[in-house]
Amino acid sequence: MIRYLVRVLAANLRRAPSLYLLTVIGVALGVASVLTIQILNRSALAAFTGSVQAVSGEADLSVLGRTPTLPDSLYPTVLADPDVAGAWALYRTSVTLADRPDFFLEAVGVDFFAPVRIPLVTAGRVGSEGGATPVNPAAVLATPGWTAVSPELVADLGLAVGDTFTVTSGVRRVRLEVGALVDFRRLTPLAGTRLIVLDVAQTQALLGEPGRIHQIDVRAVAGTDLGALAKRLRETLEPGVDVLTPEQRTQRAEGLLAAFRLNLTALSLISVFVGFFLVYSATQASLVRRRAEFGLLRSLGATPRQVFAVIAAEVGLLGAVGVALGLPLGYWAARVNVDVVSATLTNLYLLDAIERLYVPRALFVLAAAIGIGGAVAGALLPALDVSRRDTKTLLAAFTLHERLGSAAVPLAGIGIAILVATGLWFVVLGRDWQGAGFVLAIALLAALPLGTPLLVQRLAALVRIADFGWRYSLRSLGVRLQTTAFAIAALGIAVSMLVGITLMIGSFRRTLEVWVNSSLRADVYITTPSWRGRGTDATLDSALAADLAGMPGVRAVDRLRGFPGYTGERRVALAGVEMGIPYDESRLPLLAGERTPALAAVHERGAVLISEPLARKTGLGLGDSLPLSVLTGERRFAVAGVYYDYSSEGGTVIMSLPTLNAAFGTGPVNSMALYLAPGVKPEETVDAIRARYLDTPLLLRSNQTLRAEVFTIFEQTFAITRILQGMALLIAVTGITLTLLVLAHERLSELALYRALGAGTRQVFGIFVAEGIGMGALGLVLGSVGGVLLAAILILVINRAYFGWTIQVSVPLAALAWQAASLLAAAVVASLYPAFRASRTTAAELARDDV
Amino acid sequence: MTTPVLAFDRVSKVYDTFASGSRYALRDVTFTTSAGRTIAIVGRSGSGKSTLLHLAAGIDVPTTGSVSLFGRPLERESETTRTRLRRDAVGLVFQFFYLLPHLSLHDNVALPALIAGERGAEVDARIRHLLARVGLEDRARDPVQHLSGGEMQRVAIARALLRRPRLLLADEPTGNLDDANGRAVMDLLLTLAAEEATTLLYVTHSREFAALADETWQIHSGELDPG
Repeated sequence: MIRYLVRVLAANLRRAPSLYLLTVIGVALGVASVLTIQILNRSALAAFTGSVQAVSGEADLSVLGRTPTLPDSLYPTVLADPDVAGAWALYRTSVTLADRPDFFLEAVGVDFFAPVRIPLVTAGRVGSEGGATPVNPAAVLATPGWTAVSPELVADLGLAVGDTFTVTSGVRRVRLEVGALVDFRRLTPLAGTRLIVLDVAQTQALLGEPGRIHQIDVRAVAGTDLGALAKRLRETLEPGVDVLTPEQRTQRAEGLLAAFRLNLTALSLISVFVGFFLVYSATQASLVRRRAEFGLLRSLGATPRQVFAVIAAEVGLLGAVGVALGLPLGYWAARVNVDVVSATLTNLYLLDAIERLYVPRALFVLAAAIGIGGAVAGALLPALDVSRRDTKTLLAAFTLHERLGSAAVPLAGIGIAILVATGLWFVVLGRDWQGAGFVLAIALLAALPLGTPLLVQRLAALVRIADFGWRYSLRSLGVRLQTTAFAIAALGIAVSMLVGITLMIGSFRRTLEVWVNSSLRADVYITTPSWRGRGTDATLDSALAADLAGMPGVRAVDRLRGFPGYTGERRVALAGVEMGIPYDESRLPLLAGERTPALAAVHERGAVLISEPLARKTGLGLGDSLPLSVLTGERRFAVAGVYYDYSSEGGTVIMSLPTLNAAFGTGPVNSMALYLAPGVKPEETVDAIRARYLDTPLLLRSNQTLRAEVFTIFEQTFAITRILQGMALLIAVTGITLTLLVLAHERLSELALYRALGAGTRQVFGIFVAEGIGMGALGLVLGSVGGVLLAAILILVINRAYFGWTIQVSVPLAALAWQAASLLAAAVVASLYPAFRASRTTAAELARDDV
Repeated sequence: MTTPVLAFDRVSKVYDTFASGSRYALRDVTFTTSAGRTIAIVGRSGSGKSTLLHLAAGIDVPTTGSVSLFGRPLERESETTRTRLRRDAVGLVFQFFYLLPHLSLHDNVALPALIAGERGAEVDARIRHLLARVGLEDRARDPVQHLSGGEMQRVAIARALLRRPRLLLADEPTGNLDDANGRAVMDLLLTLAAEEATTLLYVTHSREFAALADETWQIHSGELDPG
């Protein structure tokens, strides 16, 4: 049979190249999407791991603060432990290039007297010295702004050793000098190129706070029990300190990214579904064309197993071609999308940006296995169907898929049983499990295709044949269920996902509009360009803040200071607010609590407001107390209210600025909101501030600009709907086209009979177009029902479990109507070619072999 | 002089085959049939019988010569016109019945009317009448899959007669039936053709059934001998 396969493959490829191409595209699409997402997921973690390894690669433990910074007085305490062989303090902050405010660098201040190995290269080409070159600490300290920069960055910025460049940190402008080249990639290939190294004292003085550090890395004496050392250090050092191994730090990052990675993986699974569908449809179409060929093989003595082996080998070969195309495509897609994912990592999760892709070889093996396995799995049902059919059926002029017809009721029963069982499981057991929503969604998407044959069969049976037109077409859809039901089910699933996500996003957008209108009340918002990186590094000095508040036309000012903190092991965003307007003027939308008394409690009695996601994830509410890690250890804050918040899924806490400073130490504010006097125009005020602070790096936005930015970010985040719409259209077009082509082949004799009985080419053409529209419409109906249920699961279960947001349901009618219209239009377009092919059938086909 | 129902004038049909070049399926065939006659064409497999019927029905056109249906030369008509002519004036009965398995007896018989855009009580009455004449009126709503071969061919005959064709063409109508069923079907076909005053042209390789026609013509290697 192998020889047979080799001989016929080329001939079949010439006869129907498009079907083979579709199989290859299907596999390539699945492989590429899995590879892209996995590369991005791994690279996100690798960026963090690379940063940890580059800076703390030689450390066995890292002492980290649960508050923004630590006093450097802890350093001698750490060194004093007998099991500590060496330790060095680090100050870490992000800076931007003064002339490129979106270009962020990660500045690390280290102690050059400490026994830490920094892979410095004195000058010239990297590697020319053949290894790390010791630096003269005295020379470093003697040069203000001495900085070691990576060779890649030097090349990118067009600098050389001895050149200077200016960076901004908050409102500060600092001139740095390239003192040496540093090549962290000698230590770890995952290291970023935007890591710059300065002396720790200079970093504190120029870019941060004197006396404060972010981290102390520890090298233990050989043979030390690291767990015991970490525990002892935690007890010895001040409260609010974490002592973690590099692995534990990576695990934390993994935990932070879990939901993000899950979403990306779900997206790749949608592509795998589309790829699987393409393979299935193309294989079915190809096999139907070759029905007589397999009938002949069977009549000549080939066993069903041999026929199956021929088909499986052929599809496996096509799968290999698809893999060969999908792997480079996936890598390319990862490269194209890395910036978007990287921005999300830095903006939402405060993690390191992805500078380079991390592509372990195992990923290629995984993607290739998914490609070949998916190709064979996609072809399994059509291959089994053809190989198991008896010879007579394969050679018959008229065929019927009686098996699926008679199985329609049991299949629907299984679908209903899955839904009922999953529903009951959710109500009784699964409600508290975070992943329960995905189980419900998968059950829904599995039940949908199981119910499709019965739905199509029953709806088609309801149609009374009164003419040789659209009613006849609809009736025909119920006849060849094995072909039509699969395409309708696939379209139904695609439409379900499209409708579900459109409803969810439409509702979310509407909710966000209401929230933004309530929350953003000030006229002008001021921060620094660092805000676009890690907001905590966007610091405004107090003199500037006071000056801005005193500007003419400014009625009131809100000041905000924020940084990450911890409640238990959960990382949350902390915000200290000094309100300039009366409490009753605020429109902060509260889910629990009365606004005016809640704000009074926050500003007068040291209480806090917590965001809805935090309330849901911790189970805390009005009247409870929230534990927070502060300078003096853990302190509990009374919860005066729960507010709606859509800016963070991790949870945020609002307190008054004095409360924050008292608990965490004083520090500069990060942003200000100006309320202008009646008649003063925000844009004019923005221009006036720009003119007044020409040399100060400020990021100024009017209320209108900020709102526009919020929705721009929203649209970017949910660009997935466009991908989904594209995929639904792809499924609609390919599914309907291939299904109708299959039908045109399967029904060749039937069409010839129509022609013999006097049906014109236009009539046959019309029948096929009507069948295409019918399939599109049924897929749309099925998908609309599925989509509404999926939206309910997304909004009420998955969103609540993973994000904790209240989303008010809103139906974006225009978007849904547009999607429905485009799908139906796609159905018409998809029907044209098969309808044309079918209409070319002649009555002579009834007796082709009889001359 | 009345116009013949069907006339072949020196008709040849040549097929180009990859293996052996041109091959004559019909060679220089000439005949006419007048209204109400029954004609049997007898020949072996591959003798050109089916090609002759295809040309007569306007499914195909001759390579040379002329085929006239009710005085209209088919080779000069467009494919659409030939299809309409076939739809409105020709009934076809096939050896393998060609009933659609997903339709009931009633709907299979109704198919020519559906295609022609005819509907209403008159059509339904005609279907009932024909099903009664072929002895299947009680099973009008049954699926055709469970019928015997003889029953299927009776349904096919009813379908062919639905629109009162002036010419009925039957390609080996008993070729897929046993002797008893074949005889019953042949009797029914001849009876109904006579009742409907339809010209019947059927091909068969059974000399016994051929003898039932008004005329019997022989066809051999594409050449027709009208007796």
